[in-house]
Amino acid sequence: MANSSRMSRRNFMQQSALWAAAFSGAATAMPGAAFAARDKELNILCWEGYNSAQVLDPFRTSTGATVKAESLTNDPTMINRLRAGETNVWDLINVNNPWARKIMAPEKLIKPLDRAKFEPYFDKMMPAFKAPYKWAMDDAGAELLGMVQRFGPYSFVVNTDKVSRATAEDQGWNLWNDPANDKKYGILESDDWNVFCLCCIAGFDPFKMHSDEEVAKFTETAKRVFKGAKVVGDIATMNQSLVAGEIDFHLTGGTYSASPARADGHPEIRGITPKSGPMAGGKGGISWIEVTSQVNNPDLSPLADQFLEYVQAPDVAHKVAFAEGTFNPVAQMGNPDCFSLFTKEELDAIQWDSLEQEMAGCAEYDIVPDYDKLLDIMTAAKREASGG
Amino acid sequence: MRLGHGERSAIPVVLFLLAGFAAPLIAVIWFSFMPPRSFSFGGAPTLENYRTIFESSSYISFLWSLGLAFIAVVVLALICYPVAYGLVRVFGRWATLLTLLFTIPLFVSENIRLYGWVLFFIKNGVLLGTLKSMFGWQLESILFTLPAIIFGMVYVYLPFMLFPMTLGISMVPNETRDAAFDLGASRWQVFTEVELPLSMPGITIGFLLTFVLAVGAIAEAKVLGGQQVIPISHDIEIAFTYAQNWPLGAALSVLLMLVVGVLVILALRRFDLDKFLGRR
Repeated sequence: MANSSRMSRRNFMQQSALWAAAFSGAATAMPGAAFAARDKELNILCWEGYNSAQVLDPFRTSTGATVKAESLTNDPTMINRLRAGETNVWDLINVNNPWARKIMAPEKLIKPLDRAKFEPYFDKMMPAFKAPYKWAMDDAGAELLGMVQRFGPYSFVVNTDKVSRATAEDQGWNLWNDPANDKKYGILESDDWNVFCLCCIAGFDPFKMHSDEEVAKFTETAKRVFKGAKVVGDIATMNQSLVAGEIDFHLTGGTYSASPARADGHPEIRGITPKSGPMAGGKGGISWIEVTSQVNNPDLSPLADQFLEYVQAPDVAHKVAFAEGTFNPVAQMGNPDCFSLFTKEELDAIQWDSLEQEMAGCAEYDIVPDYDKLLDIMTAAKREASGG
Repeated sequence: MRLGHGERSAIPVVLFLLAGFAAPLIAVIWFSFMPPRSFSFGGAPTLENYRTIFESSSYISFLWSLGLAFIAVVVLALICYPVAYGLVRVFGRWATLLTLLFTIPLFVSENIRLYGWVLFFIKNGVLLGTLKSMFGWQLESILFTLPAIIFGMVYVYLPFMLFPMTLGISMVPNETRDAAFDLGASRWQVFTEVELPLSMPGITIGFLLTFVLAVGAIAEAKVLGGQQVIPISHDIEIAFTYAQNWPLGAALSVLLMLVVGVLVILALRRFDLDKFLGRR
């Protein structure tokens, strides 16, 4: 009898499979919890800053709600979380400008806002954001898809003690075409933006379909630029390396990445917008504008609406601009009540002196139609540059 | 069929292993056969991802990971054996304090410790800045180079080699050593014929543990190496994040598991851990 209760390898596997099936069946048979009332719960998927205690705690206190905010540092990952079925988890998603209008709205990942309620806020923003603001609207211009707040130019950063601002602005992307600059620069680990920047260095507009010749030029440029990089790393590494003198400038960067170093007493670290470049109208820089949208959640929290209004208040907008991590201008600075909250040091950190001029010299971040192909080429180039 | 007491008692553990260990693994393996850049398990299975990997330069990352792990294990073995020997036989009551000193860094996040080393090695940082101000020496920093990555790996994985080795050495009975000396063995003979073979279980576990951990290392190459080397774990990360190609990332992960699994099995067969442990 002892033998009959002993498990062979085969029936162990069979039983394991049965248990696994039973277990997964039980998990899917309990959907009730997912549809509980959510009036005291808000989930935000965002870039860092909106997840900071400075921004969230007052909202938590005033509403008594549990607010969960997860921060990620690239747009595609956030969008794909929704695509992978997390639309029933999140209430708000905060990503860069083109995604709401061109990807998330057509794919029904987000739902429109009440225009009558939210459009008046745009009138208090800086002039460039007056309603109907392009990136907040759908293609037809009928629906309001999100609210804007943080924005900034984002091309590259130099240590002006090593390369003057004028030289950097005049030379622009050609800094990376000069072999003399090998091992003098770093590359910020921001792979989607690096694709844009490599296109600019190669001499063509990133935000369009590329010809075979352009792809070949991109491949050659990616290999050369990664081979010549002294360091590839995060924002802290780039700023640290610039300040310490390990590198003189770095690819992909701007107010967003340079502001922590500037706020820390290093005004020589400066985001640069090239005076000319390959983008439409001869523009040399690239800018981003965040759009925060309501997720197409079948059980959307009523607090989503309320939070979008909450961050429009001058004091909260100022906190968002100077939340932990990086510091950025906000569209609400168009409202004198909000602008007056910024100190001179804070304005210096976000390069307020040249902000308007830089934004004018920038093309706005857009979808790259053949991004997947270019990213694969860049990833391979990076790998092949391994070992220096 | 009725379940015996043993099987019934094992049910919670089996369930736990299935849900926590087997299920994610099976998910990764299944995902590696899904069409490139898809996000569901429902696609038609394909070998496309594996074809992409074999046609690409991914082998470079595999070689870097395996090579760096191998170097780290060798360097760690050379550093840790004398230290472990000292902890067991020489340092006496200081051994506890030393063990504590080796353990304490484990309570601090690996990334924070590595960023600490960045500040230490960076140009005008703790090391070079001090040398410059005290002696006027202007040296090039080793930060963002291959030696910096190896240094980081040796530093991070040191406890994982040291403690199994210490255990291994402490398993050698003093009586056996004394008997060997009494029978006229030289120090070298005692070391090679008594101590080393008898402490082999600990050494082998140390080797395997550090090798498996080091093959999956990513932070050292990123933080101290400035991504001058792209290990396979970094390639996997890129596939899952920026590239949004989960099936490709899954296929790379499966290949890494296979490569490491085969190497570990080969090593275990060679060293025959069961025999070591059973003989004790």
